[in-house]
Amino acid sequence: MAVHNHEYLFLAIFLGAALAFCVTPLALARLWAAWVSPAKPGVEKQASYECGVAARGDAWVQFRSEYYLYGIVFLVFDVEAIFLLPFAVAFMGLSVGAVLAMAIFLLLLVEGWVWAWRKGILTWQ
Amino acid sequence: MDDLILIGPELAVLITGLAVLLLDLWAPPSQRKTIGYAAAAVLGVVFLGTFAFLLPEPRMAFGGMLVLDELALFFKRFFLLAAGLVLILAVEFSDRLKAGESEYFALILFALAGMMFAASANDFSILFVALELVTIAFYVLASFQRHRTRSLEAGVKYLILGALASGFLVYGIALVFGLSGTMNFTRLAQAPEAVLSSPLFELGLLLVFVGLGFKIAAVPFHIWAADVYEGAPAPTTAFLAVGSKAAGMVLLLRVLHGAVPALVDRAQPVLMVVAALTILYGVLCAIPQQNLKRLLGYSSIASAGYLLVGVAALNAAGLSAVLYYLAGYLFTVLAAFLVIALAFPNVDSEEIGALAGLHERAPLLAAALALALVSLAGVPPLAGFFGKFLLLKAALAAAGGTPGLYWLLGVAIVGVVISLAYYFGVIRTMYWEPHPPTSPSSPSSPSPPCLAVPTPMRVALWLCIAGMLWLGVMPGSILNLTDLAVQSLAPAVPVP
Repeated sequence: MAVHNHEYLFLAIFLGAALAFCVTPLALARLWAAWVSPAKPGVEKQASYECGVAARGDAWVQFRSEYYLYGIVFLVFDVEAIFLLPFAVAFMGLSVGAVLAMAIFLLLLVEGWVWAWRKGILTWQ
Repeated sequence: MDDLILIGPELAVLITGLAVLLLDLWAPPSQRKTIGYAAAAVLGVVFLGTFAFLLPEPRMAFGGMLVLDELALFFKRFFLLAAGLVLILAVEFSDRLKAGESEYFALILFALAGMMFAASANDFSILFVALELVTIAFYVLASFQRHRTRSLEAGVKYLILGALASGFLVYGIALVFGLSGTMNFTRLAQAPEAVLSSPLFELGLLLVFVGLGFKIAAVPFHIWAADVYEGAPAPTTAFLAVGSKAAGMVLLLRVLHGAVPALVDRAQPVLMVVAALTILYGVLCAIPQQNLKRLLGYSSIASAGYLLVGVAALNAAGLSAVLYYLAGYLFTVLAAFLVIALAFPNVDSEEIGALAGLHERAPLLAAALALALVSLAGVPPLAGFFGKFLLLKAALAAAGGTPGLYWLLGVAIVGVVISLAYYFGVIRTMYWEPHPPTSPSSPSSPSPPCLAVPTPMRVALWLCIAGMLWLGVMPGSILNLTDLAVQSLAPAVPVP
């Protein structure tokens, strides 16, 4: 059988190799556990963190919906910072048009922030 | 700089939207309606401004990502007109929103900007971004009446199904890009035959069609339509029916005739089957509807089917008829929704029974809704009649080469006949059923209260009525425009 006739055959081989790569260590670990170290669960062993501060309460707590507004406003600054850093690094080599475009981008973000501020979203109720 | 001039109308709309957001922050609440009317006025100015573009030949912007040709201009004017009327409707409706009136106007403007970019799209990346701008604005617009469960339900349904459709669209674009190495429509049109004939490439285009079919509400991508149309606030529904559908349509035309003109023949069977199913589904499901907005939702599904008949005909006359039908549809549907917003002032649902005796309470509203429904049904001499007539004529002219089109024609005609029943049912309710007593305890209430029609709404209504009649009586003037637009899109499409 001519292998080069099947141009996607290598994908199938890769798939098989990837599966084997994942499954083999897991299977070996399971075998090792069964023969050498049988499971003895205890309070300490079942804890989420074996060291550090013990977890308190449930992770499934309700957030107040206002929190999401903070999240979104945070995103404004986050995105701003992501773009500002490369902008600052490349600043000296930029054309006037690029600086103007960046200024417009910043103004757009600032508008979103001003809008949120004036709407009272930043005041925790 | 030339690039910026070419997207001038879009920029003007975006700046207006941002200005509306900012103005609202410092304007007293009593001035909100003024902001809305001012935005509508700006759209009117931009609409007139588009006539300053003189295009002897299509012009490209941003390295060929955007194209400004007669087709783009036609649709930009279409969207501007629709959004202007929707804004007037939204101002009238704003008392019922309870919060965020100015944001509602701003979101309409942002959706409009997306539609206008879609009209110019010459690249799959612009197609996707424009479509998402429209769709994301509509997620919010649909669920804007937060105190109404139905509105929220509409928003959530549109969000989930819209995200699914976007997923299909992106996957399709990825396949097309992966096989051809370009997203640009102009370069795709010159792709080698080996790429075009690849089944994966066709699958990619099919998935793109799924995404666009969702926008135009074609069967089997229509599931959202009826619920969203019913639950969303009336201005949203109106804009969804007119603007969103037209945006999907112009992108479909651009992809079919701009990006892959060589594959159009192979797309024809798919288009014909989808068109037939869409027409039948729309008209059959509209029959038992009791809610007027839901009825118009199914009617808009049927309209998507008729539009696809024109696309499936694959000739210039068919495309021209699609544009003409959309123009008529704009005035017709907006007239219907203007009436819906006024005739159901405080009721939570839009039951057709509540329209009984409308011609006594508000003769203008009754007349406008009757004209709109008659036009939707396709009765001469209104716009809807000529739209359907031209679509069917184009399909008939093309049917010599593809016998399947005869079947499609048959389905379309059956659809027209069935649709007469439910449209005239509504008219009968308005004119020949007595107004129900206002409350059961006082059946002898002398006369039901007259409905007031505010002046801006009156102007908008008369504009829609004039549009329906003008398009129907003198179709020649607009057909010149649509023919120009079709020529700029596809010079190679045969003219019968």
